[in-house]
Amino acid sequence: GYFGLLILSLVLGTQTLTPTHHLTASDVARLQAALSQPFTDLESVYYSVVGLSKLGIFVADADETCKFIKSNLDASSVESLFYAAEASQVLSGCEIPVLNETRDLLLAAVSEDSTASQIHQSVSALSSLGLPLASQEVVSALKARISKEDNVLAIILALQTASRLSQQAELGDILEEIEDLAARLDDLGGVYLQFEEGVEATALFVSSAYALSDHVDMEPPLKEDQVIQLVNSIFSKKSWDSLSEAFSVASAAAALSNNRFQVPVIVSARGPAAVSHSQPLLQLHVTDVLCQPLTSATVLVESATAVSSKSAILSQAPFSLKDGVFELNFMGSKPASGYYQFSVAVTGDSRFVANHVELKVKVSTRVAINNMDLSVVDKDQSIGPKTSRVEYPSKAKASFMADSHQNFAMTFQLIDETTGVELTPHQTFVRLHNQKTGQEVVFVAEPDSKNVYKFELDTAVTKTEFDSISGTYALYLMVGDATLENPILWHVADVVLKFLEEEAPSTIQTKNVYTPKPEIQHLFREPEKKPPTVVSNAFTALVLSPFLLLLILWFKLGANISNFTLSPSTILFHIGHAAILGLMYVYWTHLNMFQTLKYLAIIGSLTFLAGNRMLAQKAVKRIAAEQSSRLAKYRSLR
Amino acid sequence: MSNSVISVISRFLDEYVSSTQNKLKVVDAYLFYIMMTGALQFLYCLLVGTFPFNSFLSGFISCVGSFILAVCLRIQINPQNKGEFLSISPERAFADFLFAHTVLHLVVINFIG
Repeated sequence: GYFGLLILSLVLGTQTLTPTHHLTASDVARLQAALSQPFTDLESVYYSVVGLSKLGIFVADADETCKFIKSNLDASSVESLFYAAEASQVLSGCEIPVLNETRDLLLAAVSEDSTASQIHQSVSALSSLGLPLASQEVVSALKARISKEDNVLAIILALQTASRLSQQAELGDILEEIEDLAARLDDLGGVYLQFEEGVEATALFVSSAYALSDHVDMEPPLKEDQVIQLVNSIFSKKSWDSLSEAFSVASAAAALSNNRFQVPVIVSARGPAAVSHSQPLLQLHVTDVLCQPLTSATVLVESATAVSSKSAILSQAPFSLKDGVFELNFMGSKPASGYYQFSVAVTGDSRFVANHVELKVKVSTRVAINNMDLSVVDKDQSIGPKTSRVEYPSKAKASFMADSHQNFAMTFQLIDETTGVELTPHQTFVRLHNQKTGQEVVFVAEPDSKNVYKFELDTAVTKTEFDSISGTYALYLMVGDATLENPILWHVADVVLKFLEEEAPSTIQTKNVYTPKPEIQHLFREPEKKPPTVVSNAFTALVLSPFLLLLILWFKLGANISNFTLSPSTILFHIGHAAILGLMYVYWTHLNMFQTLKYLAIIGSLTFLAGNRMLAQKAVKRIAAEQSSRLAKYRSLR
Repeated sequence: MSNSVISVISRFLDEYVSSTQNKLKVVDAYLFYIMMTGALQFLYCLLVGTFPFNSFLSGFISCVGSFILAVCLRIQINPQNKGEFLSISPERAFADFLFAHTVLHLVVINFIG
C-alpha cells in the first residue's frame, strides 16, 4: 500500500523528458563505418581503433595495425606517443618499446608550462604504457592550467586526465569542474543542451564526465532532464564531419550505455505503433543509446486508456521479451478500434533514466457494410417504397429512378467485421458521378441515434448541386478512417435523375486572372492655363508706363541733377547703388540667397561708406546754405 | 453737398501747388507713380487671373512697400515736422530710405520666382 503510493507519487511527480533523437541500428552501423576508414596516420589509427573498441568492435588485422603504429611512431613527440600508446593498449599483443628518453620526455611534459592537451596526452601515454607517474604533481599542474586556459576543451581534457590518475590523489577540485562546465551548456528550447563549440565538445564532455565520476565513484551532478537533453544534442547529428567527431560520439555513446550512475533508456515501437486482428502484438524496442536491447529490464504497461472515452483498458500489464524485442498481445484485451494512450515503465536497474514513456497506440479494424437497402420512395407516400438489398461488393441489378415525385433513399450499417460493433468512421460519403458530363456531386451520409446510416436524394432540393442536369449517375459509397484497414469505394447502383427545368450545362468559366490588365497611362501634371502672350506683353507695357509719367512729372516740377558734385564718394556711391540694382537682377536670374547676401555685404558696405560720406558733405552744404540765408535775412532785417 | 466737396478739393489743390516745397512735390510724384504701378498690377490680376501667384504677390508687395517707405521719407524730410524728428536729418532719412529699399527688394526678388 505505502510502496504503491510512493510509486504513484514518483510517476506523477517526475514529468521527465524522453529522448527525441537517438541512434538507430543503421546509425550505429554508419558510425562504425565512419570509424573504419583506412588509416592515413597515427591520429587516424588512434581514432579508429579506440573508437571502434568503445563500440565493442575490435579491429580484424591487429598485427597489421600494430606494425603500422610502430613504423609511424615518432618517439620524440608526445602527441605521437599518445596515439601509439592508446591504440596499442586496445590491440592485443601489441607492445610499444619504451626507452628511458621516452619516459623522461613524457614526465617532463607534465608541468604547468605545458598546455592541458599536452598534459593529457603525456599522462594517458604514461598510464597506457604502464609507466609510473606522480598523480599529485599532475593534479597541481592541471589546476594551474585550468585557471590559465579557461576554455571548455581544456577543462574537458583535464577531466579526462584526472580519470587516469590514482584514486588516492585529491581529485575533488577537478571533480567540481564538471558542475561548472554543465552550467556553461546552452539550453536550446528545453530539448537540446550543448556547448557552443559543437557536438564534439559536448560528446567529449559527456564521456570524460562519466569516466571521472566512475573513477572516483561519485554520481555526476547532472540531472536526468539534462542527461536526456545531452542525448538529444549528441545523437541528433547522423553523419559526422571528421574522424575525431565520430570518435567523440562513439565515446559518449559508450559512456552513456555503460556507466555506474545514469543509463538513458530508448523506447521505440517496432514499425508503426498499431495493432489489429492480423497483427495483435505491440512490439517495442527497449535499448540503451547504442541500440543494444536491455534484456535485463522489466517493461510494464502502467496504464492504457482510450483517448476518446478515457476508459482504462490495461493496468500493470507486463511485456514479454522475445528475440530482443518486448511484446504484448494487446488485441487479447479486446480493445475497440481507436487510439489508446499507453504509459510504459522500464524498471530493473536504478541507473535507468527516462524510463517512463508515453506512447500512442492505434487499434485498427476491418469494416463491413450491413443491410444496404436501396429504395425509391414516393413523395406523397401513396405507394410504398420498393426496397432492394445489395450485398458488398456487387452492384444493384436494376437502376433507380428519382424525379419530381419520387426520391431515392439508401440505408446501411457499418460494423466491425470481427466483433460486430457498430462503427462511425470519419468519412462516409455518397458520390454521384455523371458518366456523360463527368460531373460529380458528393454528399455526406449521416448516422441516426441507432448508428444506422441514411441517405436520401430529393431532386427538388438538390437541383443546384446538380445544375439541373438530368441523366444517369453512378452512385458510389466511400468509407474511410485512420483506424480502418480496409477503406471502401463501392459502386452501389446507377441512379437516373430527372430534373424539371433543364438548363444548358454551363461550361465552367475559368476566371483567367493572368491576362494582362489594361495599361494605366500616367497623367503628368497639367501646366496651369497661361494667358496668351499678347495679353501679358500688353500689360507689361502698361505697368511700365507710369514710369514715363513719373519722368514727365519730375521734368515739369523742375527736378534736376544740377547739384551733382563730382566728388569720389558721390561717384562711388552711385556706382555702388547701381551695382546693388544689378545684383538684384543677377539674383533673380542666377544666384541663390546665400551668394547674393555675400555680394551684397561687399557692395553694400562700400556703398554705405561712400553714401555716408556723400550725404555728410551734402548735409554740411545744406547747413552752411541755411546759415548763410539766415544770416542774410538777419542782416536785411537789421 | 457735392458743391462743397468740389470746392474743398479745388482749395486743397491750390494750397498744395502753392505752399508745398518742391522736393516734397518730387516725392509726391514718385508716390503717385508707385500707386499707379500697383493699381495696374492689381487690375491685371483681376482681369487675367492669379497665375503665377507668387509673382503677383511680390510685385504688389514691392509697390506697397515702396509706397510706405516713400511716405516715411516724405514725413521725415518735411521741414514742418522738424520738431518731431530732431535727431534725424534729411540725409539720414534718405539713407534709411535706401537701406530699407535694399532689404525690401532682396525679399521681393527672392519671392518673384
